[in-house]
Amino acid sequence: MSNVITTNRMTLAYDKGEKEIIRNATFRIKKGEFVFITGPSGSGKSTLLKSFYGQIIPKQGDLVVGGLEMTHVSKKNLQKLRTHLGIIFQDYKLINEWTVAKNIVLPLIIAGYNVDMQQTQAQRLLKHVKLEGKGDMYPLQLSGGEQQRVGVARALSKTPFLILADEPTGNLDEYSSNVIWDLMENACDQLGATVVVVTHRIPTIFNIPYRHFIIENGGIHEVH
Amino acid sequence: MKSIKHHLMFILPLLAILLGIESFMVFGRVTASYGENLKKAYTILVVTRRPMTPEAFRKIDTNIDRVESVEKRSIVEQIAQGMSNASTQEILKSLPQFYTVRLNRYLSNAQIDVIKKHLTRDPNVRRVETFGQAHNANYNLYMLIRAALWMFVGFMVFTSLFLVVKQMEIWQLEHRERMQVMEILGASSVLRSGVLFRIALTDALIAALTTIGVFVFLRYGWVAGSEIDLLVRKQELFFQYKDVFVLFGIALLIVLISVVLVSRNVKEVRDV
Repeated sequence: MSNVITTNRMTLAYDKGEKEIIRNATFRIKKGEFVFITGPSGSGKSTLLKSFYGQIIPKQGDLVVGGLEMTHVSKKNLQKLRTHLGIIFQDYKLINEWTVAKNIVLPLIIAGYNVDMQQTQAQRLLKHVKLEGKGDMYPLQLSGGEQQRVGVARALSKTPFLILADEPTGNLDEYSSNVIWDLMENACDQLGATVVVVTHRIPTIFNIPYRHFIIENGGIHEVH
Repeated sequence: MKSIKHHLMFILPLLAILLGIESFMVFGRVTASYGENLKKAYTILVVTRRPMTPEAFRKIDTNIDRVESVEKRSIVEQIAQGMSNASTQEILKSLPQFYTVRLNRYLSNAQIDVIKKHLTRDPNVRRVETFGQAHNANYNLYMLIRAALWMFVGFMVFTSLFLVVKQMEIWQLEHRERMQVMEILGASSVLRSGVLFRIALTDALIAALTTIGVFVFLRYGWVAGSEIDLLVRKQELFFQYKDVFVLFGIALLIVLISVVLVSRNVKEVRDV
């Protein structure tokens, strides 16, 4: 299987390189794998995830995502890469003045799909995340769990090859968290997407095989 | 209600800028026309020993435009009533040549003094009369109107630009999250700014159309009954159709600059 993410002695830093968060990280994530990244607060989990979608550029070393060398990626190529990713945030990052359906098809709007295709896909995904009949509502009219399901639906709308989730259940109760984990398992198992999830805690019941990386003291290592 | 308020917060300063610019263009044309009338009305009287051609005058000073010879016979006939024809001819022969000289633009007293100096330097010229006092009063009034207009329009445009900048700050807050989310999901800057551009463009169209409406009304409604001779005779000074393009052009430029600046300021943070 081909590698979706490859790092080689990668160092990530803030404050113009002054404050190093991750040092000399070397690992590979293959196509179709489900990966959990855990670690204490402030260890650099979210920073690592941000580097995968180019919001943070490595200070040193190599990072290749979807075949693109992220240290030298052009703006145009980065934009193109991002249209093939599904990104899920802890705070959902939905556009509150847009309807649920429009939020879900935002990646399709960005990719220039026509309105008919957007509507068809919105209806399919609303059903998939069990939000039928709520497409015309606005995000703030939904519960936290429902908003995160909209976030997951948005991430799945363009059938991404890589899904990146930053604490997707961090703000949710147990029931809503289980719904989100089911959707993520399904994305990996049924759709064949690679899924990388940053979380404080791995769910106790998880039905598919996964890999587990821990970040500690700036280093990253895999738990076998 | 909130949406109308937000639109008005951009439309009103834009309207003030466009009204200021159109006022500047209108008053510019009116004062230029007034200056043209002053120029036409102003003449220098030149007395020469021998006849001179207009070209000879223009060689002396390039500001000289038209030169007309004053008919001496009618003057002599008035003062030589009852005299014999021979005496009249004698007077005519002994009189010098009189010319009224018009200038090609409206000049200050100092500049007219320079022309006078150039003319008197010519050995053929006996005398030059420039009527400085009345001219100076007109010229000063003309310059005062222009300066007052510059200051008024400048202040209005400056204040309005300040308000536009304030509105841009509000836009940044309102649209930051949406634009950042769209950027993370791979949207181009054109797509990210699309919503903002549509809002700003609508506001710009409303502001430009309102300005055009105001000045069209003033030209066809108010000016005709204003009893201001210059305006009644030259209504086209008040609003010209080319102004439509200027106003739309400026409104569009302000919108483009505003949207691009907001869009640039809402860039995501990328650390190295």
